[in-house]
Amino acid sequence: MNPLESLRLSWRSIRGHKLRSALTTLGIVIGIAAVIAFVTLGASLQAGIIGDISPDDQRNVYGWAADPDTEGGPLAGAQPVVSGDDLETIEGLEDVEAAYGYAPIQSQAVSSGDEQIAQGDGVIATGPSYVREDTLREGRQFEPGEREAVLNPAAAGQFEENVSVGDEITITILGGQQTTAEVVGITDSNEGLSPFEGFESSPRIYVPTDPYYVEQAGAVELGDEGPGGSEGVGNGDGEDAAEADDADQAAQAQADGGDARFIAVIVEAHSADEDDVDAARQAAIDYLESDDSDASEFLGDDLAMTFQTSAELLQQLEDVLELLQNFIVGIAAISLLVGSIGIANIMLVSVTERTREIGIMKAVGAQNRDVLGLFLSEAVILGVIGAILGTALGLVAGYLGAWYIDLPLVYPLEYVALAIAVGVLVGILSGLYPAWRAARTDPIDALRYE
Amino acid sequence: MTETGGGAEASGATAVSLENVRKTYQLGEPVHALDGVSLEVPRGSYTAIMGPSGSGKSTLMNLVGCLDTPTEGAVVVDGADVATLSDRERTTLRGTTVGFVFQTFNLMPRLNAVENVALPQLFQGVGRDERRERARELLERVGLGDRIDHVPNELSGGQRQRVALARALVNDPALVLADEPSGNLDTETEAEVLDLFGEFHDAGTTLVVVTHERHVAERAERIVHLLDGKIERIEELGSAGDPGEPAEPADGGREDR
Repeated sequence: MNPLESLRLSWRSIRGHKLRSALTTLGIVIGIAAVIAFVTLGASLQAGIIGDISPDDQRNVYGWAADPDTEGGPLAGAQPVVSGDDLETIEGLEDVEAAYGYAPIQSQAVSSGDEQIAQGDGVIATGPSYVREDTLREGRQFEPGEREAVLNPAAAGQFEENVSVGDEITITILGGQQTTAEVVGITDSNEGLSPFEGFESSPRIYVPTDPYYVEQAGAVELGDEGPGGSEGVGNGDGEDAAEADDADQAAQAQADGGDARFIAVIVEAHSADEDDVDAARQAAIDYLESDDSDASEFLGDDLAMTFQTSAELLQQLEDVLELLQNFIVGIAAISLLVGSIGIANIMLVSVTERTREIGIMKAVGAQNRDVLGLFLSEAVILGVIGAILGTALGLVAGYLGAWYIDLPLVYPLEYVALAIAVGVLVGILSGLYPAWRAARTDPIDALRYE
Repeated sequence: MTETGGGAEASGATAVSLENVRKTYQLGEPVHALDGVSLEVPRGSYTAIMGPSGSGKSTLMNLVGCLDTPTEGAVVVDGADVATLSDRERTTLRGTTVGFVFQTFNLMPRLNAVENVALPQLFQGVGRDERRERARELLERVGLGDRIDHVPNELSGGQRQRVALARALVNDPALVLADEPSGNLDTETEAEVLDLFGEFHDAGTTLVVVTHERHVAERAERIVHLLDGKIERIEELGSAGDPGEPAEPADGGREDR
């Protein structure tokens, strides 16, 4: 018998039991939908994250000092060990383009004009090239040693009157001190610029480590001393702040430049080329672990420097993601198994119910393989319908999820094909035994069957 | 048209021949459902098989209909010895040379009249358009030209049996095997369906009707009386029976009640 005719006849019997068929396919629908939704979300998440690593970021290595046994993402268990002097020395190394610290400033509020907005995080002290020039929508990078800031659009837009280049903002840090900054640039994206920040969109203010972090470190260490008073405590051999125009600030910076230890550092290689990146990383580690560095006094068995590119850091995230995805796929596989048992069960019921029909077909000349084909195609149709509905549902769910988390949508088309194949396979596997039972029904008994 | 088994010397003239056929079922102890039956059904004949329950009617029907194989002896249908055929060949033979009409109609409930009639051709690989055309033509011949897209539920008993008859004829079979074809019909409808049988017989169809009812059997040219798995006697009625003159009152004609 023509396979197309089998499909037509099978479709007829499926339509004869609409509710039953719908319920039967539900298990497959749920299983496939779960896989497709999570794979879509996973692929979109991956694309979103990878899309955030711009080519310029790829030449950066992100470093922090932590117990080597610590597991986790960037900055897990990180301790402040790298000093300003260390960074300067690293920046002077042949393989290194730039090196600077990264430190969140613990702020309380930010104000512009008379308006004050509470902001507990998102004030980031770092080096000028952290905010790359090509990501600036307006203005320029901040200068080290200047009271300048670069805002992202979310930070600039949170005031009633948008902050723009040239405005002055006041940052209230955790201790209550207030410090001002002139806005010199606005970035073009609200997303984080490095894995240290995370990649979510939120208001962020980028300021130079000197003076902002240096001051804060000084304040934490030394209490509320006046700038002049710190001169005696400083190690006094820093010449980096000599160019600072304000005498007090210079003294402060000089005093603390060596003492302010950074929890995180960023080292830029000359290019994104893997060899260059590795050379810069190696140079930085070699120096920090040598006795010449300030960091080496803390580094040892308990504390080691880790330097990773954002791609490597993201790899960890992706590993976690993949684990989660495998877990979901595992659950979905169980759902598919339950679904196929459902199909097998309903097919067995159907074979028994239609014993007489089988007898009629055999009496009028249906071969065993015709009957087998009919029931098998019925099971396959159920499986494929389940797969198609499940795929559609999964894609919609994935789309909604990606839209909700604000990710670029990526449809994993190979999984759609795979889902249909799984539907066919589930149909065949679950239909095989019932169809075989139908095929070997004895027509004499079947015709007598009530 | 003789009881003596002459074999199927001329399969062109013989639709079915049974030669000393035995059918034994092992139900604890052997039961001889058929115990040495020899019979020939010539082409174009109209044969009725009568007998009480347990006389072997059903077994005979299954054998003639290629649904079953004999324990001993030979059943030759349209020139082919059923016992020597593989399961698949037997099914093909059944599909192409035997048409069944059942007491309970046995139509596919979800297929409409034309699809039911076309069903045997579906399994022979006949194309869709050709099948439909043939089925429609047969439905018109049985007087259901206006009911072709009705499903069995929407048809009366008599109409269903006509659909079943059309289905039995769709492959131009060597014989049509009817098992109590009017058993589920009222008297009037029964007469109509039996008239239709007569018409097709006149047109050359070979008919074998298994029945309890004397007046149904009397429409045939001869009646084969079965008893305890053996042919008790063969009653020749000459020409196809005259429905207007049953030999006995219909009520008295039931042999097994």
